[in-house]
Amino acid sequence: MKGYRKYFGKKILWFLLTLVAAVILNFILPRLMPADPVAAITGKMASGMTDASAVQEVYKRYEAEFGTNKPLFQQFLIFVKNLFRGVLGTSFSQYPRKVSDIISSAIGWTIGLQLPAILVGWLLGNILGALAAYIRKGFDKVLLPVALFLSNVPAFGMAVTLLVIFAVNLKIAPVSGGYAFDLLPSVSWKFFQSVISHYQLPFWSVVLVSIGGQAIGMRSMSIYELNADYVKYARFLGIKDRKIVGYVFRNAMLPQVTGLALSIGTMIGGALVAEIIFSYPGLGSTMYSAVTAADYPLISATTLIITVMVLIVTFLLDIIYGFIDPRVKAAQFDV
Amino acid sequence: MKKILAILLALTMVVSLGAVAFADDVSELPREETLYFAGQQWGTVNTWNPIGTNQNNAMACTNQTFGSRTLMFETLYMYDFMTGNILPLLAGGDYTWSDDMTQLSFSLNPAAKWSDGTPVTAADVVRTWDISVEVGNSVGIGYGAYIDSVEADGDLGVVINAALNEAGQPINPLKVLDFLVGGFIAQAAWIDTVVERNGGDAIGILNDAADDVVWSGPYTKYFSDDQKVVLIRDDNYWGQDASLWGKLPVPKYIAHTIYADNPAGEIALKAGEVDVCQQFIGNIQNLWLEDDLPISTYYEEAPYGVCLTMPTAWYNMNLPVLAENTALRKAIALAVDYDTIIANAMTNQSPSFGEVPRSLMNPTAGEQALFDHDAVADLQWAGNDIDGANALLDEAGLVDTDGDGWREYNGEKISLNACCPNGWTDWQASMEVVAAAGDKIGVEITTLYPEWDIYQTVFTNPNQTEYAIYMWSPDSAAPSDPWGRVNQFMGKDFVGAENNWSGNWGQYVNEEADALIKQIPLTTDEAALIDLYTQLTEIYLTEVPSFSLMYRPSVFHAVNESVWTNFPAGDDGRGIPPADCTDGYGIAALYELELVG
Repeated sequence: MKGYRKYFGKKILWFLLTLVAAVILNFILPRLMPADPVAAITGKMASGMTDASAVQEVYKRYEAEFGTNKPLFQQFLIFVKNLFRGVLGTSFSQYPRKVSDIISSAIGWTIGLQLPAILVGWLLGNILGALAAYIRKGFDKVLLPVALFLSNVPAFGMAVTLLVIFAVNLKIAPVSGGYAFDLLPSVSWKFFQSVISHYQLPFWSVVLVSIGGQAIGMRSMSIYELNADYVKYARFLGIKDRKIVGYVFRNAMLPQVTGLALSIGTMIGGALVAEIIFSYPGLGSTMYSAVTAADYPLISATTLIITVMVLIVTFLLDIIYGFIDPRVKAAQFDV
Repeated sequence: MKKILAILLALTMVVSLGAVAFADDVSELPREETLYFAGQQWGTVNTWNPIGTNQNNAMACTNQTFGSRTLMFETLYMYDFMTGNILPLLAGGDYTWSDDMTQLSFSLNPAAKWSDGTPVTAADVVRTWDISVEVGNSVGIGYGAYIDSVEADGDLGVVINAALNEAGQPINPLKVLDFLVGGFIAQAAWIDTVVERNGGDAIGILNDAADDVVWSGPYTKYFSDDQKVVLIRDDNYWGQDASLWGKLPVPKYIAHTIYADNPAGEIALKAGEVDVCQQFIGNIQNLWLEDDLPISTYYEEAPYGVCLTMPTAWYNMNLPVLAENTALRKAIALAVDYDTIIANAMTNQSPSFGEVPRSLMNPTAGEQALFDHDAVADLQWAGNDIDGANALLDEAGLVDTDGDGWREYNGEKISLNACCPNGWTDWQASMEVVAAAGDKIGVEITTLYPEWDIYQTVFTNPNQTEYAIYMWSPDSAAPSDPWGRVNQFMGKDFVGAENNWSGNWGQYVNEEADALIKQIPLTTDEAALIDLYTQLTEIYLTEVPSFSLMYRPSVFHAVNESVWTNFPAGDDGRGIPPADCTDGYGIAALYELELVG
């Protein structure tokens, strides 16, 4: 148990160091872009102004308000101080909205879309991959090319194809948004149904793309494991096929679990395409528009969320590995 | 098994109970009472503050000189960009200038009321102006240089005192007129509340959410989230008085779904989920000619809409090769194939330069009448004149001396870039045509498409030398146009200004032109005005500090008539401009809509 504690103590320390490095990079990288977001806000307000000095006045006011006229180091200290107080600042591109307000109104949609889609895609992909490896024959011959095709369709291609076929041509799915254009959010069946029907295309566009890759990965791992010595030995010992298959899939799962954890960690970025094509609300498109508008506070906050999520899932992964794979557990105890 | 059945039964009961509970509160916008928009609101609404800034509230808080959106808040007058007329809204009649144009007076409509039932008074106008200057909102900063003060003359009389120059003349009476159509009026009592709750802090006042705002317009806020914004009709709206509209606008709700991008809005328009679409749609005629959809535009034939502005390629005068070679500037402009740009980038939603020869004016009849066409006919060009351009360059001594196929200046190959923001596809297509023109005349022009955030930082920098030829649009229409646009093309005041969003993005200096521009705001004699504009057009077409690539509407106006009909059209004789039923006098359309059924 002592070794276990030491192992995780060390891990936590590394995670904290990574977090510090990530926070520094989250702050610096957006600010290295050769763009001036204050000029953009000024531009919005200055349209139609013919008095050049008045426009200058507007620029200076925003510069002072955002603190972009201060040295970078000082800005960083303010940023860190605010982070400790849980303040993410004011968005530049959606000024005067608070970053926390923007994120809180969008994150629910992203998690609601991405988490089930990632899990369903992962489950279906792995089951199909494992079956292909186990059954082989005709099933594998069909599944492999289909999976290869699906995994190579770019996310936007899949989203646009689904949109054109089901929404535009067949008209059996809504074209855009999180709920019907003629509804207002309310606690009603109609609204609930509308949310569900608007959910379908973005959901399947994410699921279909992820199934292919997962199936291929799982299939290869399973075939490798099925040919491993321990399988032959187990067969030789007369252990039941079912039991062997259990062992095989448990071992083959390991890299797949890593893949799952990382896709959950990076789900915000992954939601981008579906959100844009289907005008679906969420953080992916928020992050995209923040990047195109050089909205430092919003970029920093969204990338920070991704960083923290990846760190948390990798940390949890370490713990879960111990349960899934005794070899990892042994290594954790030995440290 | 029994257990499972019991659980299933319990679940069914819970779900059915939920269904009953859910069914009680259905919130739906009746399709036949709602007018749906696209292309105006991007992103979530920030505030409902008529004296604020950065409201990001397109439907309620768009004040612009070619036509403010007066659905919730109202301006003193409405602008009709088709005729140039300034029509009363909160004002009760025409305005009058004092003889020396230092004072503009008018009276408010006695019927005008706020949503709380109190009358709109001169004190409200005065208070709105004062707070605008005090906190520095776009009205205060934008007009502060031209308006000295606003005074009340009794309950309803308003006097606007123009800011004066050293000679005691008004600095620019045209900008005072812009204020009449471009500044929302807020209620004095409400302004006091806002000032009080923000402790007088300017930033606090500008960013105030204004949830308790008092309005005077026909609609008010009903709902907004990150997916849509909905306004509801105020059935007590004062404008149903016979002195203004005599009735209420027809749609009960104005709704705008927030789409991620133009294609999403276009798909919704085709699906009948949008009635009025303010988006550029390529080959829009195919929607009714090929797809047989009930979609139409202001005109049935090309250019389908009314073009008010001219997206323009600006030459960077910080680069000696451009600043020192008028022949080079003109040659590139002569060689560009504008018909291709108009056919491809604008899919013919712009008149050609053969139909409306280039000048400083937009294609509207009012502006076209402001210069002597014959006097400048020899200077105008319609484009694709490769021989003419080559001859011009040869004559100027800009020739290819080393035989590499490219012309040189001072021993160096002339190499320029042509820039616009990445993703602005119609502009990118235009820049490709400009680059192709360079190829034909031995001038190397390469295209460069930076991301928008970088592009806007560079092109507004007066000292930049990174972009040689770059696109931006001048003003479209306003009471102060075409003066405003001409000033943007050649005015000296913008030269050297940091964060220059105002005009003259090429940093072109011409003292003679600047002197003529400065005379215009104080010139009232029409013949003198025509003479000034003609001289300026001559200078512009001779010196070519920039060249327009196409004409373009300020607002696109496509309507789907599956639910609503009787939208304004060019040939209906009603004279309502194609301004999306919301902007300036375009709002008149809302009072005349009819249901298809």
